[in-house]
Order: sequence, then structure tokens, then C-alpha cells
Amino acid sequence: MQATQGQHCGIIAKGLVKRFGRIVAVDNLSLNVEPGSVVGFLGHNGAGKTTSMRMICGVLPPSEGSIQVGGHDLQTHRDRAARIVGYLPEGSPLYPEMRVVEYLRFRSRLYALPNPGGAISRAVDRCGLTDVVNRPIGHLSRGYRQRVGLAAAILHDPSVLVLDEPTSGLDPLQVIEVRQLIEELSADRTILLSTHVLQEVEAICDRVILLARGRLVAEGDLPSLRRESGMEDASLEDLFVALTAKAFSEEGAVS
Amino acid sequence: MKTCSAIASRDFRAFFLFPSGYVVIALFLLGNSIVFMGDVFIQGEPATMRSIFDFDVVLLLFLCPAITMRSVCEERRLGTLELISASPANAASFVVGKFLSSLASLVVILLPTLFLVVLLELYGQPDYGEIASGYLGLLLVGSMYLGSGILASVISGSQTIAYLLSVFFFVLLSLGREALPAWAGPDAWSLMKPFDPFLRMQDFTIGLIDSSNVLFFLLVTSWFLLASIAVLESERRS
Repeated sequence: MQATQGQHCGIIAKGLVKRFGRIVAVDNLSLNVEPGSVVGFLGHNGAGKTTSMRMICGVLPPSEGSIQVGGHDLQTHRDRAARIVGYLPEGSPLYPEMRVVEYLRFRSRLYALPNPGGAISRAVDRCGLTDVVNRPIGHLSRGYRQRVGLAAAILHDPSVLVLDEPTSGLDPLQVIEVRQLIEELSADRTILLSTHVLQEVEAICDRVILLARGRLVAEGDLPSLRRESGMEDASLEDLFVALTAKAFSEEGAVS
Repeated sequence: MKTCSAIASRDFRAFFLFPSGYVVIALFLLGNSIVFMGDVFIQGEPATMRSIFDFDVVLLLFLCPAITMRSVCEERRLGTLELISASPANAASFVVGKFLSSLASLVVILLPTLFLVVLLELYGQPDYGEIASGYLGLLLVGSMYLGSGILASVISGSQTIAYLLSVFFFVLLSLGREALPAWAGPDAWSLMKPFDPFLRMQDFTIGLIDSSNVLFFLLVTSWFLLASIAVLESERRS
């Protein structure tokens, strides 16, 4: 079934491969993000998280495999899929010279929203930007810039949010603020979230997808991952290290 | 269309939010004023803008790439190109939006020179048909420079390289006109002559609007824009 804006949508990726020359950044990755769930995308630096997220958002085409978002195939219906996905890239890229409201207005025109004023005021309210709405983005703190990125990502009321390290580089207070915001947004959306902060995963995510060297290492909710690994009392850090090390050693044994 | 105009209006505003925009306008006006006072505004001389238009064809060659060098390079540097790629905007609306904003900036740059036309009117009897033809020529040749600048900005990673690529291309063309006959005989350039934009511009400055010249500039500009779209699309698909 194909979804439209406002409906719960899932993400289905099958056999994703992304090659950059000889380097294989993502290797035969298949994943199924259920509608309405919050899934944590974990992995060491260079594991292929950002590349996978870019493919899911239609920024990068996969070398092999297929992606469906809300029932829309990205290869054939990229435009429709783009309207139900909100994307926050790593570092929240923005135009520093624009005012917050100008930037949101620009984004609403990019998505050809029928009621841009209403969409902007809802996003501003939800992301707590009322006080800074007329300030240039370049003058805002990192936390506020992240909020502006999130406001832009939810402006068109997407059913799926893809957030690439949304709390990276923020101070502890800002981390808590952005985390609370993501928790609020997760009430009516499917969220795929990459992070290095494992407490964040425990606090927000229903399920975890663990990548290592572009391959899927483990997938599931935390209790079942702990059970399957025989580490029922282990912290998430220990579980993450053990699963990654196991994947590396198996890969070494194979090669 | 809406996405195209969103990109165009954002870029147009951004051009005037940075000092570089005002520097381009100031340099253009300064150059024009110097030529006007030294070559046009002389007692007994005909009230014509020909010298200004001849000078502007060369000046725009250096100023138009300064307008476009930021266009795509800066989006890449900031990471905002990734956001646009994830939006429903396609490569065509992105490139056309960038071009329209650059063209609007060029019109703003040219507008103050109308003051020189007013001066001509006050002290002489200018031929408005010739002046209109000259401005049309400047817009067409400027569009071609802007198109090449956008392509240079798409294919290069830095603003400096984008600027140099665009300028170097036309400087090479101009040098070829001078050097080819000397190196390869007088017939060598005649083969290249139909592709010489500077020669085609000369018709506009004397008030001659030849449809083949108009078509030439429109086609060359379109080619640069289509090539930019093709490069961006290939990035999205490979």
C-alpha cells in the first residue's frame, strides 16, 4: 500500500549495496523499519550509517538493491517518497545568512506546501523556536541550529524522519532538549536515528540496527539482542562492543 | 515551477546579503563611469553607448563568474545541497532557479548604467534603438557567461576554481581569435568564426538585432544549463 503525508509509513530496504569506486560502503544491507517505530542505527565511524541514510532519503542512489518508503519505490517514485520523508543530515546544514522564518518559508516553498504559514507556526511551536524566529541562523547556538534543522525536517509533516546524529556536538543540556523533542516527535512518526550515544538508544529506540563495515551485524529490540548474545546483564556499550568485535572476527575468519 | 522560484528568490536575496554582491556592482559602475567620462561624454562626439557596451562585454566576462561561483559550490560546502537533493526539487529546477537568480542579479547590476543614458539624453540625442539593442546583447552575452559559470560551479569543488574555469574558457576563446590566424594561417579562424561570441556581440552594439545571433546566445546558454543538469542528475544516479 502506498502512503501519503500524515499516515504511518515504514521503510523497507532490500539488498542495498553502495560502492564508491573500489570501496564498498554498504554491503547487501536489508532492513525493515516498521511504521510508527523508533529505530536506532548504530555502528562505528565508517560503518555505513550515513551512506545508508542518504540512500533512504534519495540523496544517493544505491549501486544495487531497492528501497521503499511508505510503499513508494525510491527509484521510480522519488518525488512521492521525498514528500513523506523528513531528513536531518549530520551537522544540520543551514544557510547562516537567512533568518529562521525565511529559511522555513524557503523550505515550505521547496515542498510546495498549500498552507505554509500554518506549517511554519506548527513547526516553530513544536521545536521551541518562537523566541529566535526572526534571528539570523548564523547567530544561533548549536542547539538552536539543530532545532531549526528539525523544524525544517518536520515542516511538511512527514511520516518518516531520518535523523543523522541529531545530538552530535551538543552540550549536555542541549542533548536533553533535542532528545525530548525527538521523543515528542516519535509519538506519531516512524523515526530512523543514527547516534553514537548509546544511552540515547536505550531511552528512545524500540529497536536497534547495528552495522559494521557496511554490513548488518545485529537487529532487534535490546532485550532480545542481549538474550541472543548471552549477555543479559550487560550494558549497551558492552553489548555493542561484543557484537561489533564478533562481526570483525567472523569477517577476519572468512577472509 | 514553485521549487524553481523558491531557489531563485533565495539565491537572489543571498547575493545582496554578502559584500561580494556590492563589490561586483561597484566595480561594474566604476568601470562604466571611467569609460563614459573618458570615451563617451566628450563635446562633439556622437551620443552613443557603443564604447560602454564594447567594454562591458569584457568586464562581464570577469564579473558574471563572480556572481555564479558561489551558486553550487557553496551549497556543497554548507551541505545544503544534500537537503535539496532529499526534497522534491529536481536537478532541472535547481539549475534553472540558480540561473534565474543570477540573471536577476545581472539586471540589477546593469540597471544603474541607465543613468549614463539619461546623461546622454540631457546633453545629446541618443539613438534609443541602438541602446536597447546593446542592452539586449549584454543580457544575452551575460546569460552565456552565467550559464558557463553555473556549469563551472557544478563541476568544481571550490569557488576559486569555478571562477577561474569560467573566465579561462572565454579568455582562451578570445586569445584564439588573435593567435590562431598568426599560427595556422588566416583561414584557421574563419572555421571558428560562427562560434565567436565577441564578434556576434558587435552587431548588437551597432543596433543590429540579428535573429541568428539571438539564437546563438540562447542555444549556448541552454547547452551550459543542460550540461549542469546532466552532471547533477548523474551524481544522483551513480
